[in-house]
Amino acid sequence: MTSPFIKNRIKIEGEKQEAIERAKDRIFVIGIAFILIYTALVVRAFDLTVMQADFNIQATEYISKGKEETLSHRADIVDRNGVLLATSLKTSSLYADAPEIIDPKNTASKLVKLFPELSYGSILQKLQSNRRFVWIRRNLTPKQHYKVLEIGEPGLKFVEEDRRVYPQGNLAAHFVGYGNIDGKGLAGVERSFNKYLSTSNENLRLTLDIRLQHILRREVLKVMEAFSAKAGTAIMMDVNNGEILAAVSLPDFDPHKPGDAKPEQLFNRVTLGVYELGSTFKIFSTAATLEMGKAELSTKLDTTKPLKRGRYTIKDYHPEDRPLTVPEVFIHSSNIGSALMGERVGTLTLRNFYSDLGLLTPLDFEINEIGTPIIPSPWRDINTLTASYGHGIAVSPMQLVSAVSSITNGGFVVHPNLVLDNDNVKKEKPDIRVISSETAHRMRQLLRLVVTDGTGKNADVKGYDVGGKTGTAEKPGKHGYDKKRLISSFIGVFPMENPKYAVFVMVDEPKPNKKSYGYATGGWVAAPAVANIIKSAAPLLGITPKNDENIAKSLKKYININAKEER
Amino acid sequence: MKEYSSLTFKDITFGQKVMEINWGLVFLIVIIACVGFISLYSAAGGSFDPWASKQIIRFILGMGVMFFIALIDIKWWFKLSYLAFIGGFILLMIVEVMGHIGMGAQRWIDLGFMKLQPSELMKIAVVMALAKFYHNTRIEDVRRLWMLIPPLALIFAPVGLVLLQPDLGTSLMIVMVGGAVMFLAGVPLWLFITAIVGVGASIPIIWQFMHEYQKQRVRTFLNPESDPLGAGYHITQSKIAIGSGGIEGKGFMQGTQSHLNFLPEKQTDFIFTLWVEEWGLTGGLFLLFIFSLVFIYGIWIAYKCRHVYSKLLALGLTINISLYVFINIGMVMGLLPVVGAPLPLVSYGGTSMLAALISFGLIISCYVHRDNKLPRL
Repeated sequence: MTSPFIKNRIKIEGEKQEAIERAKDRIFVIGIAFILIYTALVVRAFDLTVMQADFNIQATEYISKGKEETLSHRADIVDRNGVLLATSLKTSSLYADAPEIIDPKNTASKLVKLFPELSYGSILQKLQSNRRFVWIRRNLTPKQHYKVLEIGEPGLKFVEEDRRVYPQGNLAAHFVGYGNIDGKGLAGVERSFNKYLSTSNENLRLTLDIRLQHILRREVLKVMEAFSAKAGTAIMMDVNNGEILAAVSLPDFDPHKPGDAKPEQLFNRVTLGVYELGSTFKIFSTAATLEMGKAELSTKLDTTKPLKRGRYTIKDYHPEDRPLTVPEVFIHSSNIGSALMGERVGTLTLRNFYSDLGLLTPLDFEINEIGTPIIPSPWRDINTLTASYGHGIAVSPMQLVSAVSSITNGGFVVHPNLVLDNDNVKKEKPDIRVISSETAHRMRQLLRLVVTDGTGKNADVKGYDVGGKTGTAEKPGKHGYDKKRLISSFIGVFPMENPKYAVFVMVDEPKPNKKSYGYATGGWVAAPAVANIIKSAAPLLGITPKNDENIAKSLKKYININAKEER
Repeated sequence: MKEYSSLTFKDITFGQKVMEINWGLVFLIVIIACVGFISLYSAAGGSFDPWASKQIIRFILGMGVMFFIALIDIKWWFKLSYLAFIGGFILLMIVEVMGHIGMGAQRWIDLGFMKLQPSELMKIAVVMALAKFYHNTRIEDVRRLWMLIPPLALIFAPVGLVLLQPDLGTSLMIVMVGGAVMFLAGVPLWLFITAIVGVGASIPIIWQFMHEYQKQRVRTFLNPESDPLGAGYHITQSKIAIGSGGIEGKGFMQGTQSHLNFLPEKQTDFIFTLWVEEWGLTGGLFLLFIFSLVFIYGIWIAYKCRHVYSKLLALGLTINISLYVFINIGMVMGLLPVVGAPLPLVSYGGTSMLAALISFGLIISCYVHRDNKLPRL
């Protein structure tokens, strides 16, 4: 039987036949090409699996081992004095070679007894899975290892693994960072220096000093508790080379269990968070005013009535009934006075000045958790006025500290840095000036005056010549600024004669208490914390207290000592 | 017993059509797809999620598309050939425009349930359009020089767009498939020789215009061990994994190299590696054997077909699929540079699966309707 639509023969003749013959030849050519390529593939497969088998099987072992080797050699992280911040310990991890398990049920129940966090069902499933390699539990203690050996099940096997240990726990968690179970860094320098740590044999030395770190953390916790605050940060920086000696962001977390931490604990408020920092910005607008010669110290600014510009009104919390000199504006923290100074400087100049201080762009820093500052856009003249007293512009605490360092160290731009001997970071004082040495000197006097006669009196530490500036900003709420929710901060620098260190404390949402007479401002909340930090840290830093040599004395003539005070 | 007179073409009924489907070919396709399901299940560490389950659903839907195409008279596909080409071309342009808007090399359109890569479908459309062109061309005209202009335009217009993406591998593949169709259509041999010599001479010039990552791929191909932790990593790892499988393989779900994430893209371009690591040389040769049967089927169908369109379409699509197989397997075994070609029906991916099944649908349609009338248009 032939099929009903049997193939028909076509009569072929002449050129047509020739064409079809040629087409057949060409199909034949393609067929030959197929066979050749196929032969190549088959030969290659044979070559790889049979001829080179020994090499390849060894290579798999080598690579598997190599992976472990590199893991266990992850470099340590130490502080500037060599104190261990992160290291790797060899631990054993338990896996099952399922086909070799003799008694899965009994073994599973024993394992669950040993590790209550495991579930019987899933363990049993793993043991009966017939797979040659299935993780049961990683990173056992030696005691647990011993207990598992006691079960006597030949299918339970161990591999030597690596566990990252942070001996200082929470203390520098945001900067040291943490990694995943395979040792890959996920935050802090563990992340940003992941490649170095996994390939280098040298320790990674940070600029942090764990003793200072401890002092900062203690003081911030204390002030947070006293004022029932939501969060707090503190930074201590060398104003001359930008080294971060200590920095804490609270609440913090246990780097061994980052998974258990809440987002607000993992959040790095020092570099990633950006905040309106309020009056501390008056340091920059005042410096710009003096540098540009837009006002003398004796210049009087009319702060008696609210300042109206367009539809905006700028008020002082406790207005003075008389015009104030520049030092008075600074030490009593008059918003009107600073806004007037900013207006004199002008939008373009002030903006460029802020930009030179690194306040308008994300910080260039050695960890990846870096926040982008929020700046007025578009930047109108009214924004210049508010930015003069730190409103309408939000930066990270680290940016503020480095900008203040650049002002107080004599006027040179510094870049904060976290890794000691990092060749990529220029540490020596660069020659980029933001202000002249004269203006820098004036600013040091003014900052000292804030502590001797102004809002920062609580920051004074006898013999250490502390200068600084308070900052109190209302947090933006649903309907404009919220008077009850404050960011209170103090940036201190010492010793003012020849500044060495900047200390910053910021407290998020402090609630007023009796001891502070109902105030929750920077002068009452953060300034005492800065004083406590300097008191504890100065001896460690080898700074000897001096007799009262007040560099601000010559400025006293510009201020009315009987003026009423607000801290 | 009934004989039709010569030159008689006869439409056939639906039932006859179903009978005429190459069920042997369908069976081979199912076997190959199953190799994919097994490997994807293993790649996910013994789980249908996230790959195997989706792949199975796509395969079932794709089989529906294949049968639908196979049962529609080839004359309709013949009529639609140029339209398919224009449609594919427009899709390519959309991707090009979207790629510019979305910044960077975008090769797909997101349809929600799958990411469609128009360049995959375009290859089919190019073969269809070339086949139609040569079907409509008289044999004595094929050898004329000016008759080269339309087919070259059909090939190089999409190649230009794909190069812009930029996707050198796919562009080369369109040129090769298009060239093969022209070769089979009877374009004089000396033209091909001239073209190959010309391309050889222009390689230094092309090199100048290549992106750095493309140059790197070629360099790495020429000497993968030179950079075992960088770009050569894929090839070296893949070769080691294949080799460690030995003759019998390590067994289902036992492949250490593939599972320990030494091998990236194990579910897409490097699925053959995983298959051979677990099933050994035996498994690898088995899959190659099944694929070779598919190609023989394709060539046999082309041989059986009576009109030029069906012959060229079936051959062109068979060559297209086999090129994928050669390039993918050659790549993972270190015989060819890493160009990012999936293994048809096996690699995880919606468009590649769809393109393969559309191709088989057309090939089967060629066979089912081999005796139908197909006049020149």
